[in-house]
Amino acid sequence: MIEVHELTKRYGPVKAVDRLSFAIRPGQVTGFLGPNGAGKSTTMRTILGLDTPTSGRTLVNGVAYRTIDKPLRVVGSLLDAGAVHGGRSARSHLECLAVTNDLPRSRVGKVLEQTGLSGVARKRVRGFSLGMRQRLGIAVALLGDPPILMFDEPVNGLDPEGIVWIRNLMKSLAAEGRTVFVSSHLMSEMALTADHLIVIGRGALIADTGMADFIQSSSLNDVLVRTPQSRYLADLLTAKGAQVIAAPDGGLAVTGLTTEAISQVAAANGVEVYELARRQASLEEAYMKLTDTSVQYRATDPGKRGRR
Amino acid sequence: MTAQSSLPQRGVLRSFLPGRGVLRSEWIKLRSVRSTYLSVLFATLVAVVLGVLATSSDASNWATMTAQDKAQFDPLGDSFIGLIFGELAFGVLGVLAISTEYRTGMIRATFSAVPQRGRVYAAKALVVGVVSLVLGMLLVFGSFFLGQAMLSSKHLEVHLGDPGVLRVVLSAGLYLFVVTMIGFGLGAILRHSAGAIAALVAMLWLAYPIGRVLDHLSYLPSRILLFNIADAITRTHAATGKPALRIPSLELAYSSLALYLVVFLALGAWRISRDA
Repeated sequence: MIEVHELTKRYGPVKAVDRLSFAIRPGQVTGFLGPNGAGKSTTMRTILGLDTPTSGRTLVNGVAYRTIDKPLRVVGSLLDAGAVHGGRSARSHLECLAVTNDLPRSRVGKVLEQTGLSGVARKRVRGFSLGMRQRLGIAVALLGDPPILMFDEPVNGLDPEGIVWIRNLMKSLAAEGRTVFVSSHLMSEMALTADHLIVIGRGALIADTGMADFIQSSSLNDVLVRTPQSRYLADLLTAKGAQVIAAPDGGLAVTGLTTEAISQVAAANGVEVYELARRQASLEEAYMKLTDTSVQYRATDPGKRGRR
Repeated sequence: MTAQSSLPQRGVLRSFLPGRGVLRSEWIKLRSVRSTYLSVLFATLVAVVLGVLATSSDASNWATMTAQDKAQFDPLGDSFIGLIFGELAFGVLGVLAISTEYRTGMIRATFSAVPQRGRVYAAKALVVGVVSLVLGMLLVFGSFFLGQAMLSSKHLEVHLGDPGVLRVVLSAGLYLFVVTMIGFGLGAILRHSAGAIAALVAMLWLAYPIGRVLDHLSYLPSRILLFNIADAITRTHAATGKPALRIPSLELAYSSLALYLVVFLALGAWRISRDA
């Protein structure tokens, strides 16, 4: 369980995080979405006690991170896979972290195996590919076998094989009942991994919702109709209570009626239909729409930030 | 600082008390990177080789030296002539022990594992301090014995039992330790290897002209410069002429050295408590 209460972090005049509140529950993968610079990394650093909040607080399992005696046993984190001394071997890197939390040496061997790095354990990290560094970063997160895991942009720069590996790993960690909190700016990736979503824009909360609800609630769900008598059909559908927008390519974007109802209206009035398709917003589109409005909203009224 | 402690002093102390795990971690960090060995090896090689070259040339030229040169002959100074490189290498060792953690971002993993930053800092300082003290002493005693062995062919050598000799050799080792810790403090303050090394070089050697231009006002600025402190504590006989005015008394030299140590370690400790 991770809790963020009214968190604000200010860097000089810039508010990186603005009165952000949410809770991350165990047993599922929670995606943390937002454009670059939205405040995701700052929030994660604050949860780990690396940044001090300007106001508000963050708790892991009910306590402040900095008060935990052996935190690697409670929270495992990957913030930046590149954050390793290149001259050190993978094993030494893991060992120097393991001993701080009195973790047995056997854990080092275990996480090296788990992440597929046993073969290169004694090699210096400088020669590692980005994918291997990501695996090493994940090995660090798994070191204390913690109930809570946090990953900041774990799939950045990975090849497809690595992406699938991380995706499956996160799902299996959640299936074991752990709390898995993962940030990304790649919506398509989150669509495949996360069960729940926290969306932020410019440091403020935009959405805190289940993945399915998030896509469902988007107004981008409509029906595309293509017909040679578009003006006539548009009038008929509007009379039935639908909202109809003429698409630039001559099609009609219809909301408020199902495909079946539209088909019936067309058939009853002898309108020829070339194409009738239900369009569901991808997570990406839903997200773009959400963050877009929040940005426009801010541009006109900088005093009031974010939609709650 | 632990909030629950009623005595603030005890809280501060406890927040800087590293456990065995943190100390072991810093020991692993120091010995698992090549730069540690390289800087120590460089320091040893240059210091020993230069000391041996200087003393062996003293010994072979002794017969042809002028009386004035013979009067100024300093058997200890010549065996320590290479220590100037040792200072640089030890200082760099101190800088890198902490600056590389910031440069690579490793410090965030370290603080995630040990959120009590004072303990990380104290453990690092302790490990770097003990290592530099032990290696520094090995280096100065090694240089001393090798250099004096070169001079012994002409019976010019001094012995540890001679007046002031043991104190000077110990002081040279102590100076290497203090320079390492100043480097360590600078590394923590600046969090940047190149910047901290530049600042260290400026403090050790480039500050000399600053002292000189202030000499007409007071000799005190010159006397508290590391360069002149090092001169003071590694001399067996008093300097003469104008340069002597810039050299502090032993009391001032040792207390300034202690002050350098405390100030830089404290500034580093303050800086490490800021956002990483």
